[in-house]
Amino acid sequence: MYRVNPIALWGIFAAALVVASAWSLVTGALHIPSRELVAVLKQGLGFSAIEPVPLHLEITLLQIRLPRLVMALLVGAALALSGAAIQGLFRNPLADPGLIGVSSGAALGAVSIIVLGDTLFSSWVWLSGRWALPVAAFVASLITTLVIYRISTRSGYTQVATLLLAGIAINAIAGAATGLLTFIADDSELRSITFWSMGSLTQSSWQDVAAMLPFIVIPLLLLPLFAPALNGFLMGETVAEHLGFPIRWVKRCIILLTAMAVGAAVAFSGVIGFLGLVVPHLLRLVIGPDHRLLLPASALCGALLLTVADMFARTVVAPAELPIGLIMAIIGGPFFLALLLSPALKPGGVA
Amino acid sequence: MLRTENLRISLTNKRTTTPHLVENVSLAFKPGELTLILGANGAGKSTLLNALAGTRVRHPALQQQGRVTLDNQDLAQFPAKELARRRAVMPQQVQLDFPFKVHEVIAMGRSPYGMDSQSQRITDQAMALLEVDHLQHRDYPSLSGGEQQRVQLARVLAQIWPHGDKPRPQADHEAGHVKRHRVLLLDECTSALDPAHQHQVLDIIKQFTTPDIISCAVLHDLPLAARYGDRVILMKQGRVIADGTPRQVLTADNLAATYDLRTRILQHQEVDHPIIVGLGRATQRGLP
Repeated sequence: MYRVNPIALWGIFAAALVVASAWSLVTGALHIPSRELVAVLKQGLGFSAIEPVPLHLEITLLQIRLPRLVMALLVGAALALSGAAIQGLFRNPLADPGLIGVSSGAALGAVSIIVLGDTLFSSWVWLSGRWALPVAAFVASLITTLVIYRISTRSGYTQVATLLLAGIAINAIAGAATGLLTFIADDSELRSITFWSMGSLTQSSWQDVAAMLPFIVIPLLLLPLFAPALNGFLMGETVAEHLGFPIRWVKRCIILLTAMAVGAAVAFSGVIGFLGLVVPHLLRLVIGPDHRLLLPASALCGALLLTVADMFARTVVAPAELPIGLIMAIIGGPFFLALLLSPALKPGGVA
Repeated sequence: MLRTENLRISLTNKRTTTPHLVENVSLAFKPGELTLILGANGAGKSTLLNALAGTRVRHPALQQQGRVTLDNQDLAQFPAKELARRRAVMPQQVQLDFPFKVHEVIAMGRSPYGMDSQSQRITDQAMALLEVDHLQHRDYPSLSGGEQQRVQLARVLAQIWPHGDKPRPQADHEAGHVKRHRVLLLDECTSALDPAHQHQVLDIIKQFTTPDIISCAVLHDLPLAARYGDRVILMKQGRVIADGTPRQVLTADNLAATYDLRTRILQHQEVDHPIIVGLGRATQRGLP
């Protein structure tokens, strides 16, 4: 099949990302002219402005839209990159963190802290403060990933049917537990839970960005280092071992790093499904399955897609907002069905 | 030299104890020699080959006793990357569903070294040697089974290609003048090939087996074994029951003992190896 030059594609994504970011900063319920954007950015970089920017515009930009944009970029990159890495590890293009239950496990961790943070887990919340939520989501997503991996992998081979069916079961169990917590939640907790289950970037603040930053930046920097090993994994674990990759270490690192990224993304933005499925899949069609190109491209494209989707979520029913998880599900659901039906979209199905 | 010393491999389960898959095998594989391992299905050939490869991650119920050494060093003590530069393994089957290009699959054989210009050159040479260069821009999953097998062989050869490893002064200094042999292990590498390609592939393997290469292949085809083996080992129920040159080992009695197969061994002036004709099973059982 014809392939696009990856360097060109990275360039296009990077350029599109800059344009989309600028565009998403100026659009919204309150329109901000682009020269004000430039002025605020100049001020931020230490240049003195010729004429002062109105205060309400500056606050909207710096305290509301900019942290939200950064959040969208980080969450989008983290989810798409984790999706690509998990698909390589499981040797399966359908393994998406949401589909196999990792996201709902992380959401259960987050909801537990919201509902039980003032009772059962009060000492934990007191100890960890701002980190209580991301760490709980991370631990829950790590446990879920390990359980899924154990269930679906027998003597080095991952059984795809078992993987997806186990995902359904894990989703059901985590969903039931989350439902139980919803049942005992009070009104304000209930509002927060609704936010998790549908996914939204509304609450983003600079403090949130700071708290999630390490959980996302570490996987973003480290996961691409495993690209050659993931390429070997696609031919089976034994072949990867014979090629000299330390496969136990590689598996553990990838599980840990993806659980970190997915856990943090879910902790701050709720469950946003399908991003990890759609982005790597489309990219494989244009640049091929080589993880050395695929992983960075997935991160870039994921950040781009979530930024655009969030802009859409903010503007389409302004001044109200659509939950971004719903938008991704509306795009992702039909895409997944098309994936099942069309031989051309399946890797290897290209004659 | 690649040696096994009293190698025993068994499958131990909580409930059942199966007989040993490999029973007390002590063998020495010599450089420059192509050794072929033959035996009935389930005789322990692939299990032995896996042990020769030093595969570490395996089924948890598999228990291995005894040592496998390469140039007097225990395989278990090789660092993973160093071992990958010294031995390459072609498994019975490689399932790869992702649309890698053929040249990318072959280049993966160079992963223990990194992708530099030398690796690029070796990838091209391996591709040319196996005559798969016309397929290089095809998607691997779209190839036929036989084409995939030749591509996999090219990948495996690229991994231990002659002069493919950069000279590392420290390691060579430590080793003194001790030769560092490389090992090629193949598990039924001709199973999907047409007759002409079977001969082509074994011919290539034979040429590749230079004095610094130790080659060992599991094979089912008796005429091919007679034609290409420097040494043939017959296995039955985990034990070695015959070991020697094709002419010594491939006798009607040995084959009857190994396979429960009636054969006639012929000679012909045009060929210098035995011609084996299979006649049928030794013990006949009719339909019930």
